[in-house]
Amino acid sequence: MPVDFLPVFLMVAVVSGLALFIFTLSALIRTDNPYPEKNRPYECGVDHVGEASAGLFKVQYFVIAILFVVFDVETMFLFPWAVVLKDMGLFGYIEMFVFIVLLLVGFIYAWVKGALEWEF
Amino acid sequence: MDTDLIAASVRASSPEIIVIIGACAALMLSLWPHQDQQKYLTWLSLITILLASAQTLQLSPRPVNIVETTYSGMFVVDAFATYFKMLLYLGTALTILMSGKFLQTEEAVKGEYYVLLLFALAGTMIMVSGADLLIIYIGLELQALSIYVLTGFLKTRGRSVEAALKYVILGAFSSGILLYGLSLIYGLTGSTQLGVLNSALATADLSEPMLILATVFLLVGLLFKIGAVPFHMWVPDIYEGAPTPITAYLSVASKTAAFAVLLRVFMGSLIGLEPLWSSGLAAIAVATMALGSLVALVQDNIKRLLAYSSISHVGFLLLGIIAGTTSGMSAILLYLLIYTFMTLGLFAIVILLHRDVRAGEPLTLFSGLAQSHAGLAFMAMIFLFSLAGIPPTGGFFAKFYVLVALIDAGHVTLAVIAVLLSAVAAWFYLRLIMLIYIQPAEPTTGSTAAPATGPTGHARAAILLSAPMRLVLLFSFSGTVLSGIFPAWFLAMARQASLSGLGN
Amino acid sequence: MDNLLSIITFLPTVAALVMAVFLRGNDEAAKKNAKYVALFATSVTFLLSLFVIAQFDPQDTGFQFVENRSWIMGLNYRMGVDGISVLFVMLTTFLMPLVILASWNVDKRVKDYMIAFLLLETLMIGVFSALDLILFYLFFEAGLIPMFLIIGIWGGANRVYASFKFFLYTFLGSVLMLVAIIAMYIDAGTTDIAALMNHEFASGPLEVLGISIGGGLQGLLFLAFFASFAVKIPMWPVHTWLPDAHVQAPTGGSVVLAAILLKMGGYGFLRFSLPMFPVGSEVFGPMVLWLSAIAIVYTSLVALVQQDMKKLIAYSSVAHMGFVTMGIFSANQQGVDGAIFQMISHGFISGALFLAVGVIYERMHTREIEAYGGLVNRMPAYALVFMFFTMANVGLPGTSGFVGEFLTLVGIFQVNTWVAMIATSGVIFSAAYALYLYRRVVFGDLIKESLKTISDMTMRERWIMAPLVAATLILGIYPSLVLDIISPSVEALVSNYAAAQPLDVVAQASSH
Repeated sequence: MPVDFLPVFLMVAVVSGLALFIFTLSALIRTDNPYPEKNRPYECGVDHVGEASAGLFKVQYFVIAILFVVFDVETMFLFPWAVVLKDMGLFGYIEMFVFIVLLLVGFIYAWVKGALEWEF
Repeated sequence: MDTDLIAASVRASSPEIIVIIGACAALMLSLWPHQDQQKYLTWLSLITILLASAQTLQLSPRPVNIVETTYSGMFVVDAFATYFKMLLYLGTALTILMSGKFLQTEEAVKGEYYVLLLFALAGTMIMVSGADLLIIYIGLELQALSIYVLTGFLKTRGRSVEAALKYVILGAFSSGILLYGLSLIYGLTGSTQLGVLNSALATADLSEPMLILATVFLLVGLLFKIGAVPFHMWVPDIYEGAPTPITAYLSVASKTAAFAVLLRVFMGSLIGLEPLWSSGLAAIAVATMALGSLVALVQDNIKRLLAYSSISHVGFLLLGIIAGTTSGMSAILLYLLIYTFMTLGLFAIVILLHRDVRAGEPLTLFSGLAQSHAGLAFMAMIFLFSLAGIPPTGGFFAKFYVLVALIDAGHVTLAVIAVLLSAVAAWFYLRLIMLIYIQPAEPTTGSTAAPATGPTGHARAAILLSAPMRLVLLFSFSGTVLSGIFPAWFLAMARQASLSGLGN
Repeated sequence: MDNLLSIITFLPTVAALVMAVFLRGNDEAAKKNAKYVALFATSVTFLLSLFVIAQFDPQDTGFQFVENRSWIMGLNYRMGVDGISVLFVMLTTFLMPLVILASWNVDKRVKDYMIAFLLLETLMIGVFSALDLILFYLFFEAGLIPMFLIIGIWGGANRVYASFKFFLYTFLGSVLMLVAIIAMYIDAGTTDIAALMNHEFASGPLEVLGISIGGGLQGLLFLAFFASFAVKIPMWPVHTWLPDAHVQAPTGGSVVLAAILLKMGGYGFLRFSLPMFPVGSEVFGPMVLWLSAIAIVYTSLVALVQQDMKKLIAYSSVAHMGFVTMGIFSANQQGVDGAIFQMISHGFISGALFLAVGVIYERMHTREIEAYGGLVNRMPAYALVFMFFTMANVGLPGTSGFVGEFLTLVGIFQVNTWVAMIATSGVIFSAAYALYLYRRVVFGDLIKESLKTISDMTMRERWIMAPLVAATLILGIYPSLVLDIISPSVEALVSNYAAAQPLDVVAQASSH
């Protein structure tokens, strides 16, 4: 039933409205002072050279991004787990332990292989 | 959730757990530089597989028709899964045994190789035990991701990398199709569990377009994985480019697991939809056999030839599904077992003859083998005759039981087409036997241990049979021959296993 | 000894295994050992098979020396012989020692050669004594492997082509038979040949892809078996593999091919087609008869123009096998008796002829007829033997060749006079090509330089020929030796065949 989704639609409307409002407001009251340094795309503070599509990425970005995703997901699991830990008891505790150990193995592997070294 | 239930689930999946622990241990071991690292890793992997198989046997249901479902119905332990797991252990263990020499000649010894193989094994094990489309999909992806990397394992060789890239793209594509079909099924029935699907689809309206679409997508996704026409185009390129042991693994273990899924899903849960897929599948089976056999005739690379040969075998295997009976199913199970033996045996010989990846694997690699290595030549001949399906080798009985099931189910025309095409297929196996026995050997430097004359020299250095290679050949050869002379024992296992597969 | 047949069948295999495992090295001694082991094994097999014939009771039309063991679920290991098959077993065991002797001068991979022939013997005896369809098929099909290798490895210049052609022709034929075997298994629920003979396969009208098949299921099964046996025996127009295979095969291979392997086709017709699909045979019988008639005349004419001795004899084999199929499908006592007799006698005669070609080939290394002439001047003994077998091949009274041809013609005259007339003219053609060959090779002046030093047959060669001459002569003068053994079984076969015909077909048959 579409009517069930009314809160969702409302939410969408409020969020986009608010965003629109903030952007408009800031555009109206800010001081406008562009200079080249400021107009450059943001790239983690590293100098960028040439076109992004033509250049070579440092593969470390990629590796770190993957590691980040892995631990991000871990955290995502940890939160709901923490909420119901008391109900699950010791077994739940061990289960999460297994999960973390598996991630840890991967992390150790990545570390020893030098994935976290940053070579310039 | 009840702790007892969880404990039971853990127990049921203990072989998978063992394999994953073994893989993690191997991963840690691979970080520790040591000159005998490869040896340790081989041993570790084999012991892991041995432990897992012991555990699988221990868990194997007695009596055979018991089906133990765990993880809230997502994971089953039945005779079907046990049979397939044993088959996968066999295939993986033999692949590991034959890898050592190949990696050394290619100077690509890396610990990750064994780790990835173990992970692939775990993936295939989950596939055969999965009773939920999602679990099956996860197993399939775990397996596929490992194999993608393994295909490109010879990073400095263009062909290997090219094959890996192709495989990733096509594999992802097919996984996507499979996932799409899966989600449609979920949308239509509200469940992904095979047991629930069975009853939900029993009353389904077969003319509903969405249902047809879902069935087609599921089927196409799985046909992609087994390399049936018209979804076969990745097979030759990837077989050719991948490191030879991985090619062997692909054509045996990967395919076996995909067939397990195909059987479990289509002969178990979607059997109610049979009118939707059976005639299409029959056409696909015939096209697969025809294309595999005919195109193989003009190949001059041994791995490409074996790729097409495996395509034609897939066509034959699909006929067992078309038969749609328990005997058809046990015929497929028997076929896969014998196919494992003969294919791995032949690949082991290809690896033994392998000189260098740059030289490729032309058919002439085999020429004159009978003069230089009579024993190997004889084994190769038996494997080839078996692949061609000529008695008294195992390959004959593999095909025989499929045909029996097919004719029993009334598909006589299909059977006639199948045997005629297998006669065509016999041609290229014979071509190889010709090369082995009849073609004069390429000029050799003699049996003395003189070094090869140069990179282009055709000299065949004396082939050193290492102990693992001997083991591989012994296993595959005795399997091929014994299954031809005493098929009863092998068939009994397959029968028992297939009795439980339809029962969910 | 209730497992005598198995012992005979697998004794050569055991010898082959012993040879494979224990015989090492490639020196002269090893070669000699291989030859002696093979000769010993085949001779012992022959001696043992004499027990079979001695204890065989011709009056019992059922199977004798039966063995029955459970082998695969639903399939059994069943062996046994009856009046039809026992002589083929004897023919095989009798010829194999001679073949080994004839191969005495093989120099290339002697051990492998002997192993191939020993395995081939096992498979051939197996074909003739298997009483289970699947077992029969196993032996029948596996026999391709050693023969393929024998032609392919030890053959002449064009051996690769010939061995491929041989393999694929016969394989293509027999895969259809496999489908039929499975269909029979499913229809009758058993693969026991004895039980299948009593099983009545449906013969009601049947339509396949819009074409109605005469004889129904029986007709289809008949055609599938026919595809296999017609290639094997071989019949026109699927005979073309045979000349190539013969020409390229080594002498021993040619002998086995002509003398024994071809008989598997004829044996198959007698064991399966006639007793199991009587209605199918009746429907397609006329077609077979006409094909046979064409084969007799056409291949005789083709033989007349051959330049290659082996090819000529190969075509003559096809013609003679035409008489065999004709006799079989006349489906009366004389015809079938004659067909079996012809097969046995052709086994001796064609074997001997190929051996005779082998004798001069070993000396001159050519089979071109043009290269010879006037051999009688230097090789009188050879000329005598060759003359004897040429005459036997033509069917001169007094030799076994006459009895077989005569009986088949008597048989066919009762069924189809036109075919009989055409076939009889084939006899004249066969005299023409055989005598023409003989004249060009043996008679005339010895003018060719290369032949001036040719030597007559050695002691070994004479000893090989002697038993064949004796057998041909004895069977020619006293054919009852064979006919007494086969007749009771043939009688049962023919009467069962007639009894199985539906009434209208019988009425039709008797009306003309």
